[in-house]
Amino acid sequence: MLGQLRARQIFEGRLIALYAGMVLILLALFAHLVDLQWLQHDKYSLQADRNRINVVPVLPVRGEIFDRNGRGLAVNTIAYQVIMIPERVENMDATLGTLAAMLNWDAAKTESVRKRIQHGRADRPVLLDDKLKWQKVAPLASRLHHLPGVNVQAGTYRRYPYGALTSHLIGYLSLANQEDLNAGYLPTEFVGRTGAERSYETILHGKLGSQQEEVDAHGRRIAVLKRTPPTLGKPLRLSIDVDIQKVASQALGRRTGAVVVLDVNTGAVIAMISKPGYDTNQFITGLETEQWETWLKDPRKPLLNRSTQAAYPPGSTFKLVSALAGLRYDEPLATGHTFCHGMIHLADRDLRCWKHEGHGEMNLHDAIVHSCDVYFYELGDQLGMDKISNEARLWGFGEKTGIQLPPESRGNLPSATPLAADNRRDSTSLRRQQWFRGETMITAIGQGSITTTPLQVARFAAAIANGGKLLRPMLNADAAPVVERQIDVDPAKLAKVRQAMHDVVADPHGTAHWPLRNIPWSAAGKTGTAQVIAMAQDDDKTDTPEYDRHKDHAWFMGYAPYENPKVAFAVFVEHGGHGGVTAGPIAAKVLKALAAKAVAG
Amino acid sequence: MIRQVFGAMDRVLIACLVCLAAIGLVTLYSAVHQGDLGLWQKQNIYWLIGLAVFLLLCFVPLRILGLACWPIYIMALLLLALVPLIGDVQMGARRWLNLGLVYLQPSELMKWALMFILAHWFASREANRLINLAVAIGLVVVPAVLIMIQPDLGTALVLVFAATAMLIAAGLPWRWFGLACLGTLLATPLLWHYMHAYQKQRILTFLNPESDPLGAGYHVIQSTIAIGSGGLFGKGYLQGSQGRLHFLPEQHTDFIFAVLAEEGGLVAISLLLLLYAVLIGRILMIASHAHSRFASLLAIGVAAIFMLYIGINIGMVSGLLPVVGVPLPFVSYGGSALVTMLAAMGLVMRIAIESDRKLPWQRPGSPLV
Repeated sequence: MLGQLRARQIFEGRLIALYAGMVLILLALFAHLVDLQWLQHDKYSLQADRNRINVVPVLPVRGEIFDRNGRGLAVNTIAYQVIMIPERVENMDATLGTLAAMLNWDAAKTESVRKRIQHGRADRPVLLDDKLKWQKVAPLASRLHHLPGVNVQAGTYRRYPYGALTSHLIGYLSLANQEDLNAGYLPTEFVGRTGAERSYETILHGKLGSQQEEVDAHGRRIAVLKRTPPTLGKPLRLSIDVDIQKVASQALGRRTGAVVVLDVNTGAVIAMISKPGYDTNQFITGLETEQWETWLKDPRKPLLNRSTQAAYPPGSTFKLVSALAGLRYDEPLATGHTFCHGMIHLADRDLRCWKHEGHGEMNLHDAIVHSCDVYFYELGDQLGMDKISNEARLWGFGEKTGIQLPPESRGNLPSATPLAADNRRDSTSLRRQQWFRGETMITAIGQGSITTTPLQVARFAAAIANGGKLLRPMLNADAAPVVERQIDVDPAKLAKVRQAMHDVVADPHGTAHWPLRNIPWSAAGKTGTAQVIAMAQDDDKTDTPEYDRHKDHAWFMGYAPYENPKVAFAVFVEHGGHGGVTAGPIAAKVLKALAAKAVAG
Repeated sequence: MIRQVFGAMDRVLIACLVCLAAIGLVTLYSAVHQGDLGLWQKQNIYWLIGLAVFLLLCFVPLRILGLACWPIYIMALLLLALVPLIGDVQMGARRWLNLGLVYLQPSELMKWALMFILAHWFASREANRLINLAVAIGLVVVPAVLIMIQPDLGTALVLVFAATAMLIAAGLPWRWFGLACLGTLLATPLLWHYMHAYQKQRILTFLNPESDPLGAGYHVIQSTIAIGSGGLFGKGYLQGSQGRLHFLPEQHTDFIFAVLAEEGGLVAISLLLLLYAVLIGRILMIASHAHSRFASLLAIGVAAIFMLYIGINIGMVSGLLPVVGVPLPFVSYGGSALVTMLAAMGLVMRIAIESDRKLPWQRPGSPLV
């Protein structure tokens, strides 16, 4: 009993000791707080009012993009924006009224500004108007002291002086999205979305700087304490020549299509145009969603870069691949001849030549010059599909060219043995359970399931011109050329094909003689007329809309000058009709401009 | 029985909780009103959930909790041991277990499990016998080391300090206590050696916050400015410029004390400290009147943990202690912390209820106790 009492006493003592300790701790805290809030209050009060440090990011200036002659394709211009910090505005309605009058806002614009102010936070700046010229903001800037909370500040904007002429190449910027934020961008930064702006983002963008600022209790900057300047983005010089680009665009006119011009020795892209285009300048603020919608819905697909992102049957330009394969494998027909009756019988169907009355006696050279289908049906039949697709693969078909303009289509290179095909996801894979003889024969003239991009065709032309160097098309003028591979081809056999291409233009009966008869260079080329659907070739109902939509695609590819090749080109016109008639004159205009430049430079 | 339980509830404790709820919610509203008001609404819901748990625990006999001590402790220890193996890494430390539906922080569970097991261990033993003490120290050191290697120094220290308070209550001789303090002091350089770089950085920054004004020292500098500029009467509700202009970091969770100090001044702070003092004093009084040693020690454990939370949080926000993530009880935003604390309050309330001599089951031979 006594022990219990003693234990109880000890326990009570311990409890009192613990409570005393805890109260002591609380008292110590209290004393410290009295010190902070009472004795040192003035010091901290001053610090809270005045002496605060804000770290603000300083955006880098994006590198500009030039063409090969130093003309600006994507440039920075200074423009002015009007911002407002809503909580500092004394009379919102009056302020908005004044702003609307001075900046010529209509009712809709005023309303959208009002919404944006209500939507945002009262203590953060809201962007009211953007991309203003100094003349427009100057009167406002001089009256700012009457408008508390409103400010005018300068910013840099991306401008694309050539608009639609370079839209697919240069691409556009937009504000950082969630993915970019995760990658470390700030929400106010612009990021390249397509084209060179996207491919060369790391070069062009530069690095963020920061600035430590002393701000007052209202967040206003008093002084800059320390500044880590941003690293400016590096300028980028493209191999594009804007003059040639302009000529190609004008030559295409209102037609849908693409023109690609490459330097045959370096793979530098001298011109690359896809029509219709769009004006990239409209993307900058990201506000013009209506415009964006119309582009997306436009059946002519202006956003699509037809030079690299769309693949079409190559038509008769592919006959050059069949010819090269025939020579490589020493097929008898490649050195012999056949007779064209205007069609060839195969089982229950007739394969027609475009010239219904027939070409008569045809060898390889004449068949290229006259673009005889029957000769190549027979050559293809002798070769078989494997040899044709092997040859095509050697010359870069069915693979991406590797140009720095993703996404890029690789086209479709069919193969007789489905398992060997490396591109099985194409639409024909289902019915490619069995390969038919007839399919080989129409592939040999570039019809059927084979498709190529204009850039692949231009690169093919360049490889023929430079003796079999398959180049990677390059946009960056200052990058070293990249030879993907040297194609193993007998120079004598290649010369035969080149001679035939020369005569396509030079021979009075050549399919491209007429449009190219007056150019200063001696060109070599091959026309192509790609069927869109199997249309009876003697169909004469040419005035229906179906006819327009089902009209053949027109191709012309080649290089110039013949003796000492400088440029390779591919011209493609969607539903353009006959290659020689439609695509030929376009190539002629581009080659004239190139020749004039070569003489001048 | 329900009426009897409600009748036996401790009025002072309830008054303290009501006042703290009011201060907490009012302050939280000020901290979040410019941003996400949803947080404030959520905190109201957490209060309701916590209240439900509180009331539920008022009806659970301590005897049943006594039986659960060992299973809870062993489960907490196992979960703690699992953390280094399968835990999620967040902000460089592996502290969380993903249990499918919920994320669990086993070190949080361990604090309360340890309180239970120590109360249970010393319910029939005195701390002045070496063997009893040795077992108790083992019960503390194993989880403390596991928590320290996560690494979570703050929680490990809370664990050790709370256990020390319970050992003192259980009769630890003062001489031994003095020896232990001395030993810890001597072992500090060794501890420093094994600390992680970021832990060292925190302590160094704490010793001299100006050395890194925009990095680790930023929090403390800004919260000290907020507290100091509050003055005697504060800048007025919703008027704190430090908080409003977002100079104050984490202002709705760990640093919410600075919001109260800035806007309410020394007056509001004194009121809060007084409330805490009354609350802890009341818990210790309930401990002293408890009908069993187990219940007493349990209540002391709760008081100790509360005291540590309060001391560490206010100490860190006002620049007295290094920054460790500890919430201010009943004021900081956070569902699990609030519900856990209200559960602990329910436990204390149950102790008060069972100790009420007027109740029938307090009579000798009552089957309920």
